[in-house]
Amino acid sequence: MGYGMVIDQQLCVGCAACTIACKIENNTPVGINWCDKITRTTGKFPAVRYEYISTMCNHCENAPCVAGCPTQAMYKDTATGLTLHDTKKCIGCKACIVNCPYGVISFNWDTPHKSWASTDPLAEGCFSPAGMVEAAGGEGSPHGNPERGTTYPVVRPVGSVEKCTFCDHRLAEGLAPACVDACPSGARQFGDIDDPNSEVSRLVAKHGGKGLREELGTRPRVIYIRDYKPQRRFEPPRPAGEGQGA
Amino acid sequence: MNSNVSRKDFMTPSWLLIVLGLMIGGAIGLYEMFFGHLFAANNALVWTLPLVTYIFLALMSTGVSIVIAFGLLAQKNAILERTRALLVLAIGLLLGAFTALATELGSILNMIWILLSPNPLSPIWWMGALYSAELVLLIIKLVMDVMGRHGPLDRPLAWATLVVASAAAMMIGAVFGTVIGRADYAGMYTSLFTLPVALVAGFAVIILTQPQGRLTELMTPAYRMLAVLWIILLGLKLFYDAHSPVPALQGWVDFWTILPFVIIALFAGLAPRILAAFGLVATLWVAYNFVITGQLVSLGPNVGWFGEIQAYRPNLPELAILVLGIAVAAALIKLGNQYLVADERQPST
Repeated sequence: MGYGMVIDQQLCVGCAACTIACKIENNTPVGINWCDKITRTTGKFPAVRYEYISTMCNHCENAPCVAGCPTQAMYKDTATGLTLHDTKKCIGCKACIVNCPYGVISFNWDTPHKSWASTDPLAEGCFSPAGMVEAAGGEGSPHGNPERGTTYPVVRPVGSVEKCTFCDHRLAEGLAPACVDACPSGARQFGDIDDPNSEVSRLVAKHGGKGLREELGTRPRVIYIRDYKPQRRFEPPRPAGEGQGA
Repeated sequence: MNSNVSRKDFMTPSWLLIVLGLMIGGAIGLYEMFFGHLFAANNALVWTLPLVTYIFLALMSTGVSIVIAFGLLAQKNAILERTRALLVLAIGLLLGAFTALATELGSILNMIWILLSPNPLSPIWWMGALYSAELVLLIIKLVMDVMGRHGPLDRPLAWATLVVASAAAMMIGAVFGTVIGRADYAGMYTSLFTLPVALVAGFAVIILTQPQGRLTELMTPAYRMLAVLWIILLGLKLFYDAHSPVPALQGWVDFWTILPFVIIALFAGLAPRILAAFGLVATLWVAYNFVITGQLVSLGPNVGWFGEIQAYRPNLPELAILVLGIAVAAALIKLGNQYLVADERQPST
């Protein structure tokens, strides 16, 4: 089994709901987006083409970040095919960032979400938000999503890298990644890309599709189908079920 | 062990400079490691001057180690009679390199995983393992030399040093050469480059720091020959880059990278020490260009954050780490020279 994602460029409207959903779900700090974008403008007026490519960790089968990590902090999960990261083993050498050809691994140069740990009350005589959580026996901050903490620290430590996990904590609960559920146009499909009968595999079989920088041999598991063409807006809608998440 | 060292020996301008370097660089290094982020690095350009400092000093140490091993294996008296001083030099440089590297790592406390969870596929793991082994070998040789124990272990240790040091230098090249997605990094040629860099830097530092005599007379022609070899390698790289399909990237070799070595090849015989110092600066410049250029082109979403091609100049805290690495090396070398080298043995041959 190997989880993978298909992004339909014809359906993606570039609203960045995936980016926002990811940020909220995974408590990523300022300056770090696990789910981000590549934008390209090509051509000359009036024949100008603008592309918005949503991007994240490609969970490559042949992951250069895993091969380059000296401590196996970056590793492939054999059960799911996900490329995951263990912050406890990470020595912050940043080899994974240099090795990743997609620019989707980030380093915590500074303590993330410093304000979350503040115990200064907002008003005299009151609890601070962090103090309230602590008093209730909770972890993190009311500003963060504690569910993230089931498989990866709620907030990753300073001196450690971090990246997309395909929301492995949600997968464990039978849910799709947050970006998939948040996509308003159903441009994202998620599932077992090793299973030829899965929705993602059927879409790739039907439309072709390509990963980013495939020529490098990384075998990415995020596949992009159908470049946007205005004419396709008049095509019949996709059959029921194709617009749903995993 | 020289017991005649007094407080006066530390009241010198060079020690004052070293202590200043240790204090300023040390304060910056400790702040970066434990309190906040001062370096001009970002998520697209992650390895900056502190890593360049590590590579520069580590390769220099490797060059010296290779000379030590060669001296014993080839029974070169000019090298043998300065073995202890060269061992002190190699150890000092390597520990200076490790100090600069420590400021680069996000979590030095997690270094335990290098041993407990090693990844033999990772060039960085091999680099760490080989340089650790080199340090251990150098320390064993120094201790044996100080204790006057010379015998059947000398040659195996010299062979081990030669192999480990050469492999370690080439592994630094592999760290960059095995990176597939960055402009100007991919290719095993990088390992072929780091070994000559190590030799050029090692020869230069020996000529610069050792007393003029048989050793420097032996090293100077070799230094000139290495400069010629280095010019040929850089020329090949320049020729290759001229046909590179990567737009807006000149590669890490240009006319100004090659020119210093042309000057060295032509004039090293006339003013060996001046051109040795010049060679060290040129080697630092090579290491700087080599490490930085491959990271200047942003990848993926980083184009939106940092622009397609970044402009990098080291900031003051990064320069302080360069000073720290050199100061640690200089302090250890001076201590070693004051306490251990004063009563160095003479070769029996």
